[in-house]
Amino acid sequence: METTTSGKKAKRALRPIIGLGLLSLLVCGLFFPLFITGLAQVLFPYQANGELVHLKGEVVGSNLIAQNFTLPIFFQPRNESQSASGLDPDITVQMADAQIGRISNATGIPASSLQQVVNENVDVEGRLVELQYVNVLTLNIQLINEYQSVYSAYG
Amino acid sequence: MIDAIQLLYVIGILGSAILAGWQLAPYITRVYSRAPGRLDRVLNPVENRVYRLLGVDSQGGMGWKEYFFAALAVNIVQMVIGFLILTNQDILPLNPQHFSGLSWDLALNTAISIATNTNLQHYSGEYALSYFSQMTAIQFLQFTSAATGICVAVAFVRGLTSGTKDMGNFYVDFVRTITRILIPLCLVASVVLVWLGIPQTVSGYVNAGTVEGLVNGASQVIRIGPVASLVSIMQLGTNGGGYYGANSANPFQNPNPATDIFEIFLMLLLPTTLCFVYGEVLGKKRETRPILFGAYILFAIDLVIAFIPNTALGPGIETRFGGFFSAFWTVVTTAVTTGSVNSSLGGEHPLAILAAFMGMLIQSTPGGKGVGLMYMVMYVVITVFIVGLMSGRTPEYLGMKINSRDVKLVMVAFLIHPLIILVPTILAYASGAVAAIGVPTTTSGFTEVFYEFTSAAANNGSDFLGAQANSVFFNVATAVVMFLGRYAPIGVLMALSGSMMGRKRSTEVGLRTDSMIFTLVLVASILIVVVLTFFPFLALGPIASYFQGA
Repeated sequence: METTTSGKKAKRALRPIIGLGLLSLLVCGLFFPLFITGLAQVLFPYQANGELVHLKGEVVGSNLIAQNFTLPIFFQPRNESQSASGLDPDITVQMADAQIGRISNATGIPASSLQQVVNENVDVEGRLVELQYVNVLTLNIQLINEYQSVYSAYG
Repeated sequence: MIDAIQLLYVIGILGSAILAGWQLAPYITRVYSRAPGRLDRVLNPVENRVYRLLGVDSQGGMGWKEYFFAALAVNIVQMVIGFLILTNQDILPLNPQHFSGLSWDLALNTAISIATNTNLQHYSGEYALSYFSQMTAIQFLQFTSAATGICVAVAFVRGLTSGTKDMGNFYVDFVRTITRILIPLCLVASVVLVWLGIPQTVSGYVNAGTVEGLVNGASQVIRIGPVASLVSIMQLGTNGGGYYGANSANPFQNPNPATDIFEIFLMLLLPTTLCFVYGEVLGKKRETRPILFGAYILFAIDLVIAFIPNTALGPGIETRFGGFFSAFWTVVTTAVTTGSVNSSLGGEHPLAILAAFMGMLIQSTPGGKGVGLMYMVMYVVITVFIVGLMSGRTPEYLGMKINSRDVKLVMVAFLIHPLIILVPTILAYASGAVAAIGVPTTTSGFTEVFYEFTSAAANNGSDFLGAQANSVFFNVATAVVMFLGRYAPIGVLMALSGSMMGRKRSTEVGLRTDSMIFTLVLVASILIVVVLTFFPFLALGPIASYFQGA
């Protein structure tokens, strides 16, 4: 008799504890992130899917992360271990300027034109916080689009 | 030093957090006093159904023990759920990258870490966790630990409020925190974060080419997932556990200066709001002053320390944040014990690291949402006691006499922190566990290990070691430290508050705790007791690094 009442008591005490554990899992762990996923995919599909960049109908990267550029004809990102993420998509204007001579030699594009591409692409938000930087992929995509004869293999 | 425009950013961001907190506090107070509100029509029927389902009498109040053990028991159930999901993610759905289950010690560490609001991470999420784990282990526990922190703090304040008979009902508080505070705020924050550029998808990583790949066939993996929803709660809930190993330095988690500023604001919002909620719940709005001003004065001191060195772009710093926003973030994330990082701590100046230590050692500048407030009240009681001793009067707070048992409880709560930081740090060296994970026996090596346990004990979660500390010793040791660092002080401070419930209040004005003078004495007392406790360890770590010019 005593064991059944204490069993009942334990059951009564455990019900809200285990129930709340499971319910919070459903609401916070499944319902919320999946609802946000649906909302994001409808409202902002470009951002929600990683700001992918296309060339020749193929995905060639994301605006948000760095990718390997090894050829002298392209602007190159910071070395992987130089940044905290290893994926830093940006370089300072100084770092970009330092690469202009090399790219000009390799492609024959005048240094002044390359300088203009850099200047046009200085990040606006960055300027607001007193940082002068450019997105490496954006620079290279603009080069491919503007100098199609030089970059014919890519455009 | 920083320039005028950077100073404007600091003032602007902190100012908007204080303003928003001031605006939000009456609403939050009504959530817990259960005053009628606009959301009632939608939420009341839902919540009532939940109470019936759980078998909870929503009108029943709890004493401090009942409240604390309900919170602890629910948290343990949630940890177990998280642990089981992490170890079995290979057989669970939404695992497009086919990650295997975590080892028992890493899963134990992770479940306790997230459930205690610490978010120390000995794994890199994008290489180890399925979408299902990121949602149902990480985001889930980030919500529940944030809710628990706010609930226990509100219950704590109820105990101090004159005329209350109980500390409230944990189950009701918890449900209402989720439905009326965290979900609505995170909903707005998530949508803003996606709009600003953070991914939110469950369609799998993108196997893409690169630009040069069009010719040479090179490829890359674009690791996206349900990131924005996680970032919203990790920052708002001062959790700090990132979707990615590099946390908020990873561009998908923090793509630009706008998200950086918005995320700093999100971190500050709830801890700041709770300073105002304190005065509102007490029914003495002026008592918010020492709590809020004390926290922000200490915060300002930390910022000044971190901003002394020149903040240039160096290794470990992301280009889009530069030196200034990296140092700023590092101080904020430790001041509110969030623990997310937007740089690699190894790239930070020793003085920025010293400022980060101060935030984690004090824990109330303004500290993690909920517990930061409890710690600040603890410091107030310590200060009232010291001032009482010096002036030869019986110490009083909120009209209540502070007796010797109160002071003992407060000292126990205070001493838990150094105990669970300093002992394991020494143990890690003595047992050879430090050498085993390849940390050198140097000043910077010592800083890394000392930081690891400080971060664990303060339930902060920022760290130098990261996945390097994925060894059985560090997983289990920090799990124990995180668990004790969370529940021991909460339990002791709940006991303090419980014993004050219904205590006789005198109406005559004794020591004025709402004055600026008291706030300054409070700040000085906190600095003295904390710095004295930890000075030898700080001297061996960041201070030595600074003088070595490291």
